[in-house]
Amino acid sequence: MDRRIFLHGIAAAAAASSAVVRAASPLNVAVMLPMSGPAGLFGPSAKACAELAVQTINARGGVLGRSINALFGDAGLPPAEASQTALKLWKGQGAQVVIGMHDSAVRGALVGLFKGQVPYFYTPVYEGGECARGTYVNGETPAQQLAPVIPWLASERKPKRWYMIGNDYIWGRNTNAAAKGYIARTGAQVVGDEYLPFTADNFDSSLARIRDSGADAVLVSLVGGASVTFNKAFASFGLADKAIRLGSLLEENTLAGIGLANARNLYSSAGYFANIETPAAKAFSDAYFKRFGAQAPALNGLAESVYEGFLMLEAIAARAKSLDVAKMEPASEGASYSGPRGAVTMHARHVDQDIYLADVGEKGFRVVKTFPHIASGQTCKV
Amino acid sequence: MDTSWLLYALNLAYALATLGLTTLGLAVVFGLLGVMNMAHGEFVMLGAYAVVIVQSWGWPIATAMPLAMLVCGVLGYAVERWLIRPLYARPFDTLLATWGLAMVMRKTVEAVYGRGYRNIESTLSAPIDLGGVQYPGYRLALIALAVVLMVCLALWYRRSTMGLRVRAMTGNPVLAQALGIDTRRLASQTFVIGVVLAGAAGVLLAPLVRIEPGIGVDYLLDSFFVLVVGGLGTLGGFGGGVGVIGGTQSVVSSIAGQTSGYAVVLILSILFLWLKPNGLFGRR
Repeated sequence: MDRRIFLHGIAAAAAASSAVVRAASPLNVAVMLPMSGPAGLFGPSAKACAELAVQTINARGGVLGRSINALFGDAGLPPAEASQTALKLWKGQGAQVVIGMHDSAVRGALVGLFKGQVPYFYTPVYEGGECARGTYVNGETPAQQLAPVIPWLASERKPKRWYMIGNDYIWGRNTNAAAKGYIARTGAQVVGDEYLPFTADNFDSSLARIRDSGADAVLVSLVGGASVTFNKAFASFGLADKAIRLGSLLEENTLAGIGLANARNLYSSAGYFANIETPAAKAFSDAYFKRFGAQAPALNGLAESVYEGFLMLEAIAARAKSLDVAKMEPASEGASYSGPRGAVTMHARHVDQDIYLADVGEKGFRVVKTFPHIASGQTCKV
Repeated sequence: MDTSWLLYALNLAYALATLGLTTLGLAVVFGLLGVMNMAHGEFVMLGAYAVVIVQSWGWPIATAMPLAMLVCGVLGYAVERWLIRPLYARPFDTLLATWGLAMVMRKTVEAVYGRGYRNIESTLSAPIDLGGVQYPGYRLALIALAVVLMVCLALWYRRSTMGLRVRAMTGNPVLAQALGIDTRRLASQTFVIGVVLAGAAGVLLAPLVRIEPGIGVDYLLDSFFVLVVGGLGTLGGFGGGVGVIGGTQSVVSSIAGQTSGYAVVLILSILFLWLKPNGLFGRR
């Protein structure tokens, strides 16, 4: 071996060991993501966002001086199995923090498992109402996504008759229930609402009802594949020019399935889109594609929310100077950071954040209006 | 003027046509060979991806049809030869083997094309005006095509020599063999025809439906319900099953909502399995 290379090796080893000394014990963070099941589509992009967050935070010194070590668990399983996975990461592998992007059924199981003993950051868009101790929610709530958007649409597009459709579960129903009040306040009326099982793959009868109702706006609270099929058929029946559509879980993958040609007069309301034009969002997306290559899984709001979860962990831990839930609870109130979505501040363990309303242009979503710092509408006691 | 009835009639016709198209392949394989092909839906999915692929290559969409038929035909031949043939007369084993095959096909497509939704960019699904009702032109063409295809198939099955041989084979395989019919080759051909029909259905439906690697299960279930209600191995059973399942779902959904429509289909299927296991026009 060349003497110089040998000396380099020694120097590198010394540097590495000093880093180890500095961060005496790495901070194990369990990251629960859907790697299988219906939401498995979001697994790869969400995992990439988590890895990018770990790299970014570790590069600036980690959390409380400890470098983060992410432990991934599959949350795309039934709640009982997902909570077994989380239990293994928590008790077996020593995770001290949990970050989760998964459905509400799994969240319910995890909240019951953790009982506030471990800080749990829940990041995706959801129906609202989670007030469990030690649970910190970054996701958009229906109030947040609809309260500013429906009045704005009322003044811009002047719809008078809203039809609401959704998948038959808590998110679809809560979202539409929240919308009813906002619609009534604009002076418009709700001319129909219906809720479909996840198995529905033919929306002809619903579309006939929408047509007969004379609706000029439709709130689409369908999820994933159902949203794809519904919106395609909606356009093919010539309804796209007769009624505007608004969705609060219409992200980039769903739009890819719908097709741009079928998305005329389609609006999506969310805290993040892959092509927001702010410097922070641009920097995030540049870093993402630099790290994972141009062929990386497409960015979307659900995946990006995992990155936000890490930033919130960093912000709360810095204020609490501890990872103890008893200390993090008071510190969470008012904790804030500036991330890809813009300025984010936690209140009532939910966040005030910017909400973007996008329509669809030739290159996909196109933000037409930004509503700054919208409150979550949640009232959890801290 | 109220034109709703026309829309509902067209929707009913479309529901029956698509159900007929996607069930046809399974009706051939399950009905005639007695092979419960759990990978049936995956062949439909392959057909839909054939359209995605030719579009990404920049080829005309029409070329997806020969591509899908070729791919499904070759794959179907290999599957029949090395997976199904050793397992004839062992229905449960065939079921497991084809379920495994379905998973391999699904995961392979996932690995190559990703799990994301795909869309076919075409003007085919644009609406045309039909006496006050906006209806997608492509759907009208599909309904017509389905009718033509069913008639041709019925004629072929009733009139052609191969149809006669197939009927002989399914009626009494041992006797058919004794009469000099090469049942092994015939079974292989029948299987290939079945999966090619499934692939062709996928191509035809691609511009209208959601496309992702997991769509196969939907088509498998609906087709299975049709055959449960209609019965195996007869044209009457096939037509009856499509009519009962598609008609019930479409009509009940229009009147009482999708959940009720789906529930009625499930209840009907259970009642048939329980009280009339050979279906409306079962062979056995």
